[in-house]
Amino acid sequence: MNEVIAFWILSAIAVLGALVAVRKRNLIHGVFALLVFFAGLSGLFLLLLAEFIAAVQVLVYIGAVGVLLLFAIMLTERVAGDDDRRMTSRGWSWGLVAAVALFVVLLLPAIQELPPPEAAQAIDPSVKELGHKLMNPYVVTLEVLALLLTAALIGAVTAAQGVRMPKEEDSQE
Amino acid sequence: MSLELLIATVPLMLIFATLFAFTTWLERKALARIQNRIGPNKVGIPCTRIGLFGLGQPAADGIKMIFKENIVPRGADRLFHLLAPILALIPSMLVLCFLPLDFPWLNENSVKAFLLDGAVIFFFAITGLNTLAVFMAGWASRNKYSLLGGMRAVAQMVSYEIPLVLSAVIVVMMVGSLNAAEIAKAQTGGDWFVFSPWGFAAFVIFFIAALAETNRSPFDLPEAESEIIAGYFTEYSGFKFALFFLAEYIAMFAISGLAVTLFLGGGDGPGLAVLPWLSVIWFLAKIFALIAVMIWLRGTLPRLRVDQLMGFAWKFMLPLSILNIFVAGFAWHAEQLDNTFITVITWVISLAILYSAASGLNQLNRGKVRPREYKYAE
Repeated sequence: MNEVIAFWILSAIAVLGALVAVRKRNLIHGVFALLVFFAGLSGLFLLLLAEFIAAVQVLVYIGAVGVLLLFAIMLTERVAGDDDRRMTSRGWSWGLVAAVALFVVLLLPAIQELPPPEAAQAIDPSVKELGHKLMNPYVVTLEVLALLLTAALIGAVTAAQGVRMPKEEDSQE
Repeated sequence: MSLELLIATVPLMLIFATLFAFTTWLERKALARIQNRIGPNKVGIPCTRIGLFGLGQPAADGIKMIFKENIVPRGADRLFHLLAPILALIPSMLVLCFLPLDFPWLNENSVKAFLLDGAVIFFFAITGLNTLAVFMAGWASRNKYSLLGGMRAVAQMVSYEIPLVLSAVIVVMMVGSLNAAEIAKAQTGGDWFVFSPWGFAAFVIFFIAALAETNRSPFDLPEAESEIIAGYFTEYSGFKFALFFLAEYIAMFAISGLAVTLFLGGGDGPGLAVLPWLSVIWFLAKIFALIAVMIWLRGTLPRLRVDQLMGFAWKFMLPLSILNIFVAGFAWHAEQLDNTFITVITWVISLAILYSAASGLNQLNRGKVRPREYKYAE
C-alpha cells in the first residue's frame, strides 16, 4: 500500500515537472522543472529497488546534465532568464499524434498484459550484481564506452582551445 | 515503521543542529584567538552577569535572525529566492543519514533502513545538489555580484567533485563495497586507510576537495566578501540567510563524516570492547577534529585566485588522484599475496611514486605561472 501511494506521488511529481519544463517560457524555470522531473524519476527507480540506477540518475542527470544546461544558458548571450516571446505552436496536431503513437507503442506490452522478457526477469538490480556484470561479461563494452567518452572530452578541449594557442605564444615572444 | 524512522532521523537532525550552534561559537572563538582578539564573550545566561565564555552567542544570533526583516529585491524571482535556501538545506540534511553512526537507541533493523548498498554513491549524488541551490540563489537575487558568486560556485564545485570522488574510489576498491557501514567495519582495530601511503594521499586530496565543495576558505571564492560582497547570498537576510548558514555547516559535518568513514575508521577507537556506545562519541570527535582543522586553515590561509583554483583542481589534484588509483590497485594485489616483505616493498615504492608525482606536478605547474599581467591598469 505504501509503495502504491509513493508511486502515485512520485509519478505526479515527475509528470508535473515534465509538463512545466515544456510549458515554461522562462528558460531557467524550465531547467529546474526538468530537474524536478529527473528527481521524480529517480524516486521511481528507488521504488523498483534499483538503487544504483536511482543514484546515477541523481548524479548524472541532476548533478551533471542540469549544471551543464544552466552553464549553457548562462553562456548564451542575451539570456536574462525570462523570455516573453511566444513559442511557435504550428503543427501541434502532428506533434500530438506522434506523442500518442509513441505512448501507445511503449505501453503496448502493458496493455496486452504480456509478461516481461526472460532476460529482464533474471536481472538482479543490486549494486553488487551490477558491478560483477560490468566487470565480467561487459568489461569490453565498458572500456569502449570509456574510450569514446575520453575521446569526446579530449576533442572538446581541443575544440575549445581552437587555433588561438600558437598566436598567443607568438605575441609573447 | 514510521515511529522507527522518526527515532532514527529526528535525533540526527537535533544533534547536528546543536553541533552547528556550538561550531559557530567555536569558529568565532578560534578565529578571534588566531587574530589576537577575544571573540564573543558577553552573551551567557540571560538577566545575570555570567558570561560562560560567550556560549549563549549562537542562541542570541538565532533569535536575531528569526526576527530580522526578510528583504527580497524588487527585481528578484520571488519563488526561487525563497526555494534556494531550502534546497540548500535539504541535501545536506539528507546526506547525514548515510553516515554509519551507531546510536545506542537504534536496533539492527532501523539502522539498515538507511545504510543502502550504494551509500557512498548516494552521498556524492545528493551533495552535488548543493551546486544547484547556490546557483538558484545567485540567479534569483537579480544582482550581478550574486550571479557572479553563483557562477563561481558552480565552476568550483563541478571541478572539485572529480578529485573528491576519485579519492573515495580508492577506499571503495580496497574494501570492495559501497556500503558505508562495511567500509567502517573494514577499518576496525586501528587499521585505518589513512595509515597507508595511498590512503594518506587520498585523504589529503579528499580533504582539500571537501574544503572546496563546502566553499570553505581558502576556497571561499563564491562568497568572497572583499570581491563580490558575500556572493550568492548578498541579497539574503533574516531567516533565509540563517538557513544558508545552517546548510553550509551541516554540509561541513556531512563531508567530514564521510571523510571519517572512508579514511579515519568511522567509529573505531579505544574502549569500544567495554562500552560499545563510545563509537558515536569517537565518530563525532573525529568530525570535530576535521572541523577544527578547517577553522585553523580559515584563520591562516589567504584566498586563492580563480585561475589558481582551477589550475589546482585540474592540473594537480586530478592527475594525482588518478595516479593514486593505479598505486592503490597494485597495492591491493600486493596485499593479496600476504607476504610481509612484499608489503614493505610496496609501501616504499608507492610512497616514492606518490611523493615524486606530487613534487613533479608541483614543479610543472610552477614553471607555467607567468608574471602577473595587468589588463586594465598600469
